[in-house]
Amino acid sequence: MLLETLKKDFDQYKNQAEQGSFLSLREEAFAEFEKLGFPTTKHEEWKYTNLKSITEKLFEATCEIKSGVNEFVKDSIFSKITANRLVFVNGSFIKELSVIIEKDNAIVIGSLAIERHTHKDTFNKHFGKYAKIEGLALNALNTALLSDGAFVFVPKGKTVEHPIVILNITDASTVNVLAQPRNLIVAEEGTSVTLVEVYDALGANAAFTNAVTEIYVGENAHVEQYKIQQQSGESYQNNFTQIFQEANTSINHVTLTLDGTMVRNNLHFYMNGENCNSLLYGLYITDSKDFVDNHTRVDHAKPNCFSDEKYKGILKDHATAVFNGKIMVHLDAQKTNAYQRNQNILLSDDATVNTKPQLEIFADDVKCTHGATIGQLDEEPMFYLRSRGIPEDAARKMLLNAFADDIAEKIKIPELVVLLEEQIDAKL
Amino acid sequence: MLEIKDLKAEIEGKKILNGINLVVKPGEVHAIMGPNGAGKSTLSSVLAGRADYEVTGGSVSFNGKDLLEMAPEDRAREGVFLAFQYPVEIPGVSTTNFLKTAINEKRKYLGQEPMEATDFLKFMREKMELMEMDKALTSRSLNEGFSGGEKKRNEVFQMAMLEPQLSIMDETDSGLDIDALRLVSTGVNKLKDGKRSFVVITHYQRLLDYIVPDFVHVLYKGRIVKSGDASLAKELEVKGYDWIKNEVESGASA
Repeated sequence: MLLETLKKDFDQYKNQAEQGSFLSLREEAFAEFEKLGFPTTKHEEWKYTNLKSITEKLFEATCEIKSGVNEFVKDSIFSKITANRLVFVNGSFIKELSVIIEKDNAIVIGSLAIERHTHKDTFNKHFGKYAKIEGLALNALNTALLSDGAFVFVPKGKTVEHPIVILNITDASTVNVLAQPRNLIVAEEGTSVTLVEVYDALGANAAFTNAVTEIYVGENAHVEQYKIQQQSGESYQNNFTQIFQEANTSINHVTLTLDGTMVRNNLHFYMNGENCNSLLYGLYITDSKDFVDNHTRVDHAKPNCFSDEKYKGILKDHATAVFNGKIMVHLDAQKTNAYQRNQNILLSDDATVNTKPQLEIFADDVKCTHGATIGQLDEEPMFYLRSRGIPEDAARKMLLNAFADDIAEKIKIPELVVLLEEQIDAKL
Repeated sequence: MLEIKDLKAEIEGKKILNGINLVVKPGEVHAIMGPNGAGKSTLSSVLAGRADYEVTGGSVSFNGKDLLEMAPEDRAREGVFLAFQYPVEIPGVSTTNFLKTAINEKRKYLGQEPMEATDFLKFMREKMELMEMDKALTSRSLNEGFSGGEKKRNEVFQMAMLEPQLSIMDETDSGLDIDALRLVSTGVNKLKDGKRSFVVITHYQRLLDYIVPDFVHVLYKGRIVKSGDASLAKELEVKGYDWIKNEVESGASA
C-alpha cells in the first residue's frame, strides 16, 4: 500500500521539481528503492524487524503546523538548555521556532533546503557521499523524497561553542504522517561540535520517520553526537547515521531510546585514517509491545584506531529488543583495538532480546573483545540494599537507575543529563 | 531483645542449622565461633532474611516480634543490621545517596520526618571521622573498587550511620590487617552504649581481643555445643576446635 502512494508522491515531486534540486540523484535513488522494495524479514539484516505495520499503512508527507507545536517546543526539555536549536515538523524546517545563538557567522547552522544553495560547494562535496543508497532501500527512499533537515558546516579550526539541538517532531494530529529528515554535518579539520538529535511526536495518528544523517569529520576534529528518541503514540522510526572519520578524530556517540512503537537504528562509523577514537553508547528502555533494534557497524579501515561500544537495555511487558553490533577490521587495519558489550535486563517473562555480536577481522594484529548478557537484576545487590532498610521496589529502582544512568552520563552536557535522568527515572 | 528457639534451616535440602537456641539481651556482646561449615554464616543469613535459606523449624523473636515473618528491609528498619562477610559492589549507586535513602526509609517506617540534607551531611562527617574514612569514598560508587579492608570499614561505617539495636557481624575480621582490625573494633566499641547488642561471628579469637564478648558460643554441626565467657575463646585459640569436636562426638556416641 505504502509503496504505491510513494510512487505517486515521487511522480508528483518530479513534475514540480525546481532547478538544481539534484533530481538525477533523486531519480537514481528512487529507482534503487523500487528495485529493492521495503526490506522484509527474509533479509539477514532485517531478520527480527518486521516492517509490515508500516508498509500496510498510508502516510502523508504533510506539513500543516498545528498550534500545539509551539507549546510542545516551549515545554520540551531541549528548550531548557542553552543551545542552538533547529526545529523540524514532519520533516520541514520551522524558522519561527528555531534559534541560533552561535556568534561566529562563519559557522553555518540551518536548513538543508536553504543552505545547500548558499553553500553549494560544501553540499556538493559531501551530500550523499557517505550514506550509501546501493542495497539500502530506506536510505534510497530518503534520498529520493527528502524535503529538509539540518545543515551544519563548521569551517576549519572553528569550535561550536553551544550544542546544536536538532528537534524533529512528527505531528500526526489529523492524518498519518511520513517525515524524512536528512541531516548533513560537515566538521572540517580541527573543529569541535556537539549535536543533539531529538525525535519527538505528537498527535493520535501514526507517524513514520525515516531519517538519514551524514557526518563528515575532518582531521583532528572532535564530534559529540547524541540521539534522543522519545516518540510517543504510534510512532515508527528508521534512523540511519553514517559517520566518516578522517585521521586523528574522536567521536563520542550516545543513543537513548526512551519511547517509540518501533525503532530501528543503523549507526555506521567508517575510520578513513589512523588514530581514530570512537565511542558508541546506547540505552534503550522499552515497554508495552514496543520494539527497538540497534544495528551498529564500525569499519576499522586504517591501522591504530580504537573503538569502544556499550549498549544497555531494560525491557518490560511484551517489549522486544534487537542488538547487532558489527565490527569490521579491514586487511590493513593493524593494531586495531575494538571492544563491544551489550547488557540487557528483562523485567518481564514476556520480554525478548535478540543480541548478536559480529566480528569480521581481516588483519592479524588486533585486539577485539565482545560480550552480551541477558538477565534479571542480580539478587546480591538487591539483598544488600534491602538489608539496609531500603524496600524492594525502591532498591530495584535504585539499581535500574544506576544501570541506565551509566549511559546517560556519557552525555557531556550536565544540565541535560539531569533532565534526561528525570525522564529515565519516570520511565522505570 | 533477640530470642532464638530451636532454629532449624536448610539450603537446597541440605540441613545446616539443627536447632539453635540463643538469647541476647540489651547491651550484650555475644561471640559465635566454630569451625568452617558449622553454620555460622547461615545463622547470620537467616537472621537477616536472605531468601536462599529455608527455615524448617523454630522461631526467632526480636523485641517480641516474629523476625522470620518480616521482609529483609523491615528487619533492618526494626533495628537489625548485618555486616556482610563479602560486601557487594554496586556500581552507579553512591554511598551518600544509598545511606541517605536507607536512613530516611528507616525514619519513614518509624513515623519520623526525613533528615534534613545539612543534618545528614554533618552526621555522616562525624561517622566518617570515627571510622577514619577517606572522604572520597562516600562520593564513589558503593564498594566499587574498594579494597577488602575498605569494604569492611564501610560496613562498620554504615552500622554507625544506621545505629542498629542489634548488629550481626559476619566474619568482619576476615582479610583485615592489624590496622584495619583496630579501626573496625574501635568503631564497634564506640557504638556500645549499654543498650545496643552485638553478635560477632568469627573463626578466630583475634577480633575478640578488641571487642570483648560477654558470652562465647561454639557452633558445630548446626548446634551451639558449648557456651562460656571470654575465656572460652582463649581456650579455643590454644586447643583448636578438635577438642570440641571430640567432646561432641564422644557425647553423641555415649
